[in-house]
Amino acid sequence: MSLDDLGVVLFTLEMAGLATAAILVPGVASALLLARYRGPGKGALETILSLPLVLPPTAVGLALLEVLGRDRPLGSWLASAGVEVVFTWKAVVLATAVMSFPLLVRSARTAFEEVDPRLVGIARTLGAGPAAAFWRVTLPLAWRGVLAGVVLAFSRALGEFGATIMVAGNIPGRTQTLSLAIFHDVQTGRDGRAVALAGVTVALAFCALWTTEWIVRRRSGEDAP
Amino acid sequence: MSERGLGRSLVPVVLLAAGATVLAGGPAPRREVLVFAAASLSDALREIGTAFERNSGMRVLCSFAGSNDLARQIRAGAPADVFVSASRDRMDELEEAGLLRQSDRFDLLANGLVVIASARVEQVFASPRDLLRVRRIALGDPWAVPAGIYARLWLERAGLWSRLEERVVPTLDVRAALTAVDSGAAEAGIVYRTDARMARNARVVLEVPASEAPPIVYPAAVLLRSSGEGRLFLDHLRSPESRAVFERLGFEVLVER
Repeated sequence: MSLDDLGVVLFTLEMAGLATAAILVPGVASALLLARYRGPGKGALETILSLPLVLPPTAVGLALLEVLGRDRPLGSWLASAGVEVVFTWKAVVLATAVMSFPLLVRSARTAFEEVDPRLVGIARTLGAGPAAAFWRVTLPLAWRGVLAGVVLAFSRALGEFGATIMVAGNIPGRTQTLSLAIFHDVQTGRDGRAVALAGVTVALAFCALWTTEWIVRRRSGEDAP
Repeated sequence: MSERGLGRSLVPVVLLAAGATVLAGGPAPRREVLVFAAASLSDALREIGTAFERNSGMRVLCSFAGSNDLARQIRAGAPADVFVSASRDRMDELEEAGLLRQSDRFDLLANGLVVIASARVEQVFASPRDLLRVRRIALGDPWAVPAGIYARLWLERAGLWSRLEERVVPTLDVRAALTAVDSGAAEAGIVYRTDARMARNARVVLEVPASEAPPIVYPAAVLLRSSGEGRLFLDHLRSPESRAVFERLGFEVLVER
């Protein structure tokens, strides 16, 4: 693999890492909210948070471009403040974060729902506040599902294409991730390089998913109260 | 479940986030020029960019795609310093949008169209009418990509477009059309004469005379948002060294010596 190819791989890993780090707190918070909240509007909230899972990625990218483009209100305000988002690495992180978000939320939410609420109740009666109950009871019981969600979100972020190419473009050295590089190589007849890069994505995805499976498999047996 | 397990799971995540932040936060050591250019300029500008990097110590990043796509990205806020388009129209749009000054643009190159055929095709092409015997013709999108628009205008003038339209395989840029014919996916294609020189398996079967096709001019410009680096690169495009590269690859250089 050439130095350029290695650069693309590292860039992709870096972007996926940043995106995953960015959605960690909001994702876990949303998962907790969906697991516990029973009031009105829950169904609508669930649906909205799951939209990026089902929408065509290009539609998600287009929506981001409509909000952040130079000639849109938010975009021009950011531009006047000297902040460039579209067609820079920040747009790559944003697009992959949005697309990965629902995966983290779903996995973490299932994990939180499996936590026996009576255990949380017991902690509260013993004097723990809501935050302490979360950190010392809920999260320790749900951490496997949350971690599986994080790894899944990371894997999804590695392979993001449609939303990324719409809002970040395919700029070699600036916004070109593995999937965009494969696309570009095929377009320009460099099939050999495309296949090599595709092989790398398969290896990365395999590792990530295998890790997820391993985490989830070890759930039973260790956590039985 | 003990807190040991919780700590174990959080540590790698925190390290990942911290490491990624460190990698992303470091400032770029060298000044960079971001060049958006028509796909047909891939080889020429890579070579010229490398020479510029050697002379100036700056880093040149090139994004090659259909000029229509690049113009759209620039309008939406892409931070390009220099834009070289395969069509005056796309540059005019950016000028009208206030993204560049008229004094910062000039006509750099001219090019011509050729018809290419894949290795499997054995027939002889004496005129554009011979395209009627081909099943698939690859072009840049004839309603968006400059090379495709030029090709369509040529075929419209020849009175053949309406009959050929349904055989057209539209591609994202002219190099993708070249790839389609090179790989045999399309029997024939219409690309620039400079692209045809890069073909591995396809061959030129017909040259489109300049009188029959619209004028194919490549304007180059430095965008308003660019600082001095963009202007330096633009000037480098006019240099004798760059002229030599362009001419060697088959372009006609429009800038005076």
